[in-house]
Order: sequence, then C-alpha cells, then structure tokens
Amino acid sequence: MNAIGILVIILFVLMVVVGRIQGVKAFLGLVCNFFAIFILIILINWQFNAYIVTAIISVIILAVAIYLGSDNIEVTNIAFKTSVIVVAILMALSIILQYFGQFQGFTTENSEELEGLSLTVGLSFSDIAMVVMVISVLGAVAEAAMAISADLNEVIERSPDMTGTSLYAHSRIIGGQILGTAINTLFFGVLGANIPLLIWFVRLHYPVAMFVNAKLLMTEIVTMLLGMLGILLSIWIASWFIVRTNVKQQKVRIKHERDI
Amino acid sequence: MIVAMAWLFLRHDAFLYTNPVGQVTRVSEKETQKITDEHQNSDFIMTQKITVKLLNHAKKTIYVSNSYAQSQVISNKYRVGDQLLLENIGSTKHILSLKRDAVVGALATLLVGLLLIYSKWRATSWLMFSLVINIILFGFALFINVHSKDANVLLLFSVLAILFATASLALVLGKTLQMGITLLTTLLTTTLTIGLLLCVLRLTNNAGVHFETMSYVTQVPVTLFMAQTIIGVLGAVMDEAADIVAMQFGMRREGITRHFSDYWHAGMSVGREIMGTLINVLFMIFIAETMPMVFLMLRNGNNWTYIMDQTMNLGILQTVISGIGIVLAVPVTSALVGWIMARKVTKL
Repeated sequence: MNAIGILVIILFVLMVVVGRIQGVKAFLGLVCNFFAIFILIILINWQFNAYIVTAIISVIILAVAIYLGSDNIEVTNIAFKTSVIVVAILMALSIILQYFGQFQGFTTENSEELEGLSLTVGLSFSDIAMVVMVISVLGAVAEAAMAISADLNEVIERSPDMTGTSLYAHSRIIGGQILGTAINTLFFGVLGANIPLLIWFVRLHYPVAMFVNAKLLMTEIVTMLLGMLGILLSIWIASWFIVRTNVKQQKVRIKHERDI
Repeated sequence: MIVAMAWLFLRHDAFLYTNPVGQVTRVSEKETQKITDEHQNSDFIMTQKITVKLLNHAKKTIYVSNSYAQSQVISNKYRVGDQLLLENIGSTKHILSLKRDAVVGALATLLVGLLLIYSKWRATSWLMFSLVINIILFGFALFINVHSKDANVLLLFSVLAILFATASLALVLGKTLQMGITLLTTLLTTTLTIGLLLCVLRLTNNAGVHFETMSYVTQVPVTLFMAQTIIGVLGAVMDEAADIVAMQFGMRREGITRHFSDYWHAGMSVGREIMGTLINVLFMIFIAETMPMVFLMLRNGNNWTYIMDQTMNLGILQTVISGIGIVLAVPVTSALVGWIMARKVTKL
C-alpha cells in the first residue's frame, strides 16, 4: 500500500485521538486550505489577475485557519483582523521586493527537472514569485496572531480589572516568548528544506558572491525573513488591538458604574 | 533610516567582490519575436543590448546582450539601475546573476530593527545569537558531510539536531529545569516520529514515495531526505513542546500540590489548541514552494495526478511527518512533565 496514504491515515487518527473534536476540525481546515490553493492555482493558470486572486484566496485561507482553530469568538475576531492587516502589509512588501530582487522562476540549477518542458509558457512568473511569498507567510501569520490573542485573552479572563499598562506589559512578555519559538520553527523549517541545495552549492564550489546573490537561495531567505516579519507584526498589532478594546471596555464599565 | 543606510551600503559594496560587478546604465530592446509552443502557449522573446558600467576592478563600460522570454521562467529581464554579477569567460564577460544582496540585506535590517524596537535589546540579541550559532553549527555539519566520503549522513544530522535543540533552548530559556524537560520531550518526540516514519517506509517498501524526484541531489537522496525531515520535525516539535512546558511550569508556580492528571489535562488542552495552526504553518510553506513548478507543468499540458506525483510527493510526505510529530508532542510532553512534577511533589 501507499506509504504516504498510511501516514496520512496515522496523522488523522492521531489528531482525532489527541485533539478529539478540535483535531477533526484542524484536519478539515488543512483539507479546505489545500483546496483553496488548488483553486488559486487554477485561477491564475487561467490568466486571472494574480494580485486580486491572491488577495481573495489569502483572506479565505486565513479565515479557515483561524475560525476552525478556536471557538472563542473574541480571540478569533481579533486574530483574523490582525492577520488580514499583516498579510496586506506583507503583500505590499513582497511586491516591492519582487520588483527589486527579481526572484521569479527557475535557474540553471534546475535544468535537470526542466528537461523536456517548454519554458515559454506565456504566464508571468514574476507575479507567481509574489504569490509564493504571500502564500508561504500565511500560516505563520495566522499562528502568531492566534497564539498572542488566545494567551492575552486568558490573562484578561483571569484578572479582568487589569489596567491597560499592565496588560501591555504582559503582552510584551508573552509576545517575546511566542516570537522566540515561532521564529525558531520557521528557521528550522527553511534550513531543513534547503539542505540539498546548500550541499549542492558547497560541493560545486560556488563563490561566496553566489551565496549572497543566487536566486534560489535568496528566494528562500527572503521568504523566511518575510515570515519572521509577519510573526513580529502580528504579535505587535494583535496585542495593540487587545489592549485598546480592553481599555475601552473598562472605560465603558466605569462610566456605567458612575451612572448608577 | 537604518534600512536605507544598509541598502546604500550594499549597493556600493562592489569592492568586496572578486567577481566583476556592474551596473546597468542603458538598455535597448533590439528585437521581438513571437513564438508559440506545442501547447499553444504564446510568448514573446526579446533581445536586450545592455550597457554595463563596471563598478570594481577596471572601471570601464562594457556591452552585453541578453535575451529573455516575457514570462521570465528561466531568463531574466534587466532594467536600468540593476546591478549585475558578472563572470569572465575568456575575454568576454557573461552575466552570472542579478546582484540581490542589497534587497535581502535591507529586508534583514528591517526585521532586526523592528525586533529591537519591539522587544528589549537583550532578548533580541539572544535570539539573534542562537540563530547565528545554529548557522555556524549547520555550516560545520555541511563541511563534514561534503569533505568526508564515508560520513554517516543520518548520524551526522541527528547529532546536529541534538546540538541545535540544545543551543536554541539553552539560549532562549536559560539553564533551567524547564529547558531540560523541553529538550528531553523534543528529542523523545522527534525520535519517535522518525522511528514511525522508518517503520512505515520499511513495511511498505517505499511504495508511492518518489525519492528520485528530489531536487538538487548530489548524494543518496533517501538519507538526504531523512536529514531534511529530522531538522524540520525538530523545529516544529520544539516550538510546541516549549509552549506546553511553559504553561505547565506556570501551573506549578501557582500551586505546588497538583497531581499527574491535572498536568496531563492542562497540557493536552493547550496542545490541542496550537497543533492545528502549527501544522498549517509548515503546510503553507511547503505548498508555496512547489507552486512555480506546478504552474510550469500545468502549462505544459500535464494532468494533475502526474504533477502531484512529481512535484508534491516528497513535500506532502514531509508535511505529514511533521504533522505527526506535532501531534505526538502533545501527549508525550503532557505525560512527561506530569510524571516528573508528580514525582517531585511526592519526594517533598
């Protein structure tokens, strides 16, 4: 039997056993996102405007990832708002980066895989490079936004009378911890994925100049840096949102008590 | 402002290069040719005549010609202002690559700058320090791998993984019991996951897994894939284990007399909440990476089953393995921490 099939089944069973209902939901979310990306690829292949398609599909993916991840509506709303803003910023940034850095397409290192394929396909690979950058940061942004809002929400529930400044101080501490581990995950993910490419570079004695300028490697590094930036921004913006709504609610409460 | 300075510096760092570096000062498009391939994709081929002013060594002006297709799948269009990395072949110079260090450097500076503004100087420097140490360790492992012919790749990268985990956890958490337990659970879960993967692969005789589709292979692909998977799983598991252990230690600080079951339930509920989004992170990174190839193959008239088999096969395998690692980390961490804590309480 197919080894991948067996492993997928193992994953599903484990998710159900460990996560119960939440595990089933998470698995469903993955399947949904897979189809969303499928649709994205088909639409861009049909020459729809890559920028608009990416923006819409990104919002859908974020919604699926966040609203299926937790039941707490306060947490999910803030996380969703945050990640949409962050992804918009990152998308703008990736367009700028793509303009200056020209990260599109393949290089001579890929020639073995490209054998027999027509390379004049009439599809702008410059746009696709932007799509790749945006899609790959979506997960990291959603994760960071969810983590910070869930944790801060718990802090608020435990001590509802906390002042804005002390809540802000809490958000700094929690944010720092999330930042550290999330950046590490991303770093190891990218490092692991690029072992073959790096070995290739070392074995073929690439000059140092190519290490810091080669398209393949730089694309990976830019994607990683964008992801880290996304994590940082989502933690920042989400904690700002939470502190602001919390302060507002407290003001309302104080006003309400005074009226009585 | 610092970002602008970094960008300016890296735009003018040509003197650091041994290869000739030049800046495009004028581009003239010479001819355009419309072509249609066998799959009815039409594209335009352009030829550029580029005037390049050399920025290091001999400061003179040279002319290069470059042809590119409008879709820029493999060829590149150059514009005025672009900096190029050139290579001497005989007496003529060829374009090696666009010089990208300014863009990447500016982005990295932006990230570090924002990190510094957000968290304290100390926290940021520790984080940066751990990343740098990991890169050095990684470089060292690569060096050993490339320079000794009979190195055991799997063993080498397993050792590297252990060093990675120790270094990053020690630098982020400090030398505490919390760090020790996180490290222990991380390594335990990673070993379990890789063991599971090896079992399934052996039982099914690698059925349906196409190791031959791996890119940039310079040595046996199976071990290389394992090395990749170990590092990837390690990062994901470490993230989750750190979160769960941190929460459980928070519980301990609040009240000492807790039982195994309290720790177990709390750990499981936190783990449940984060595992879905964490798997999503890895999933998105992997699927984005395969996209250019998927587009190219689609345009070449391949069907989806073939594309999935060729481009996504190993990626899906890797994501699924990381997912299993992430899920396994939840009960392993909860149980281990609960067990250690419960024993500590009875000892007291």
